[in-house]
Amino acid sequence: MKRTLSLVLCALLLVSLLGTSLAEKKDWEIVVVPKDASNPWFVHMKTGVDEYAQKHGVNAYQKGTAEIDATLQAQLIADLIAQGVDAICVVPVNPESLEPVLKQAMDAGIVVIAHEGATLTNVHYDIEAFSNEQYGAFIMDNLAEAMGEEGLYTTMVAHVTNASHNEWADGGVAHQKAVYPKMTLLEAEPRVESEDNGDVAYNKAKELFKKYPDLKGIMGTSSYDAPGIARAIEELGLVGKVFTSGTGLPLANKAILESGIVKSLTLWDSALAGQAMVSLALKVLNGEEITAPVDLGVDGYMALTFKPGSDKVLEGQGWVVINKENVDSFGF
Amino acid sequence: MSGNVKASSLRGILAGRNAHIWRLVLVMVGWMAFMALTKYEKFYTLINFQTMASQFPEFGLMALGVMLCMITGGIDLSPVGVANLTAILMAFLLKALVGPEGGLPGYAIPLVFLLGALTGCLLGALNGLLVSKVRIPPILATLGMSELLAGVAIVLTNGNAVSKLPVDYALTINSRIGGLIPVQLVIFSVMAMLIWFLLSRTTYGTKIYLLGTNARAAQYSGLNNGRLLVKTYMLSGACAALGGLIMLANYNSARANYGGVYVLQCVLIVVLGGVSPTGGRGRISGVVLAIFLLRMLETGINRFPQISSYYISLIWGGVLLLVMVLDYLTNRGTRPGHGKSKAPGASAA
Repeated sequence: MKRTLSLVLCALLLVSLLGTSLAEKKDWEIVVVPKDASNPWFVHMKTGVDEYAQKHGVNAYQKGTAEIDATLQAQLIADLIAQGVDAICVVPVNPESLEPVLKQAMDAGIVVIAHEGATLTNVHYDIEAFSNEQYGAFIMDNLAEAMGEEGLYTTMVAHVTNASHNEWADGGVAHQKAVYPKMTLLEAEPRVESEDNGDVAYNKAKELFKKYPDLKGIMGTSSYDAPGIARAIEELGLVGKVFTSGTGLPLANKAILESGIVKSLTLWDSALAGQAMVSLALKVLNGEEITAPVDLGVDGYMALTFKPGSDKVLEGQGWVVINKENVDSFGF
Repeated sequence: MSGNVKASSLRGILAGRNAHIWRLVLVMVGWMAFMALTKYEKFYTLINFQTMASQFPEFGLMALGVMLCMITGGIDLSPVGVANLTAILMAFLLKALVGPEGGLPGYAIPLVFLLGALTGCLLGALNGLLVSKVRIPPILATLGMSELLAGVAIVLTNGNAVSKLPVDYALTINSRIGGLIPVQLVIFSVMAMLIWFLLSRTTYGTKIYLLGTNARAAQYSGLNNGRLLVKTYMLSGACAALGGLIMLANYNSARANYGGVYVLQCVLIVVLGGVSPTGGRGRISGVVLAIFLLRMLETGINRFPQISSYYISLIWGGVLLLVMVLDYLTNRGTRPGHGKSKAPGASAA
């Protein structure tokens, strides 16, 4: 008897562990599927999605896998399809592996929105935070501001074969030529490689500053570039004389921002990207026609335009600047 | 063994020959009842069960292979490496076989399965040789093999996914026979039946239980332990390769790092299924139940928007411990000692 009782108790424990379900279906059910649930980037995205859901009274929520894994993500989406949700917004771990399951979703009449999945074909729309060219121009604006809009500069990319980094750098150089006439590109070495490695970026920067004493700025692209360059600037005692800007994560770069070695870094905000996906999903579900410029009512996503040559990929102006004032506000 | 216990009492059932199976059934029924109470209309749908039946075969097959190795007292940590490398090689083959109109010749899919299974056997045989001839402990031999295969797969693909495969392959494997039964489930069932048959109806089965119980005794009884191990790891490799071929269809692409979480998941399934980690004991029915249970837990949890996926590991670990505790509670009163008291081979089914 005792044992039967303990069995029953164990079963009850299992049941109560999960608590009761409180979710009730409001109009549309929109699910955001990030790469995983624990990466701070996507935790931040979740806060954005939750905030949007609360503010607009939408049944939207984020559901991620416990680990970044392409197969787990596909299975989660298959489960959501079986459950009959109305829209799936996904940040693919690996676009190729999702095509079959996203096709099933679309066949089942589910609205599919992607973010950072421009190569996907089985989606209604894909939202990119920005066009590569415009983001490059934005980095250049930050670098130019730090440099006082004058002087010699060069650009750094992870690898010259990396498509997006080079498009950013090209966009930045083009913007400089159009807007900042007093700045000049170092023609001898217009593009150096950091190999996506902070130490390489640091050594490259040190070498450049020694070789070209006139060099006043380096535009970074990869998230290792600007922090590596900043170390070189500090070590060579050039703080306030030479400058850098580029992509960087807030918390990792808190020290160099607060000490003023780097005035600003650039990034896009995952919370806003999550909100933009939900907003676009709502529009599609409500049968609204999606014509450029699309206003999603989210900062940086007020006037999305289609990427040239595509009728699925929408590009926003979702870049953000990170400086010592807002460095703590992201949570990653 | 259950002769001295009244078979009709709950306690008797839970402590009898099928004790472990019944405990798994109990946990599963509990979970299904919980899902019925909370999410009936979202869980108990045909499409949901079809989805689950197409999701578990890929890792279920790998788990069957791991089970065989664990019965011999070893382990196979390379199923994901074998699966991915097989999938990549077969993806290249599919791309080479594709006709000018983008269709596949009729023999393509059987050929892919044949060559895929052979690849798995070959890689498994390597594992078996490392374990039996070079005498590397299985956990290290297969871990090394797993890293090696992943490395080969990365070199072959430069770390990219092999995609843009002819659609016929994925469509065939992803279809449902008679609009009802997923093909993946059929592949899994065929393999499971084959392994059940091998374990319970052939001398091979009896021999590997004996080998797992006491390798030295097996050797002195005249068994060729080396050949048995090579055969077992080959079979495990074939299972993993079939899992890889299903992944190739489910994701319509192949990549060196797909399914990384499956390695530990397979080991957990096998232990939860009642296979003794020290070998010699374990039944396929328990492992198959554990596979179902895992998929139902995960799918069930995915039905709750407010429950984070972190809880999947938590609940999975909780269930594993719960089953072990139930094992302890129900074994305590009915058996003098609760060690390995079963005769090897007697519990193969």
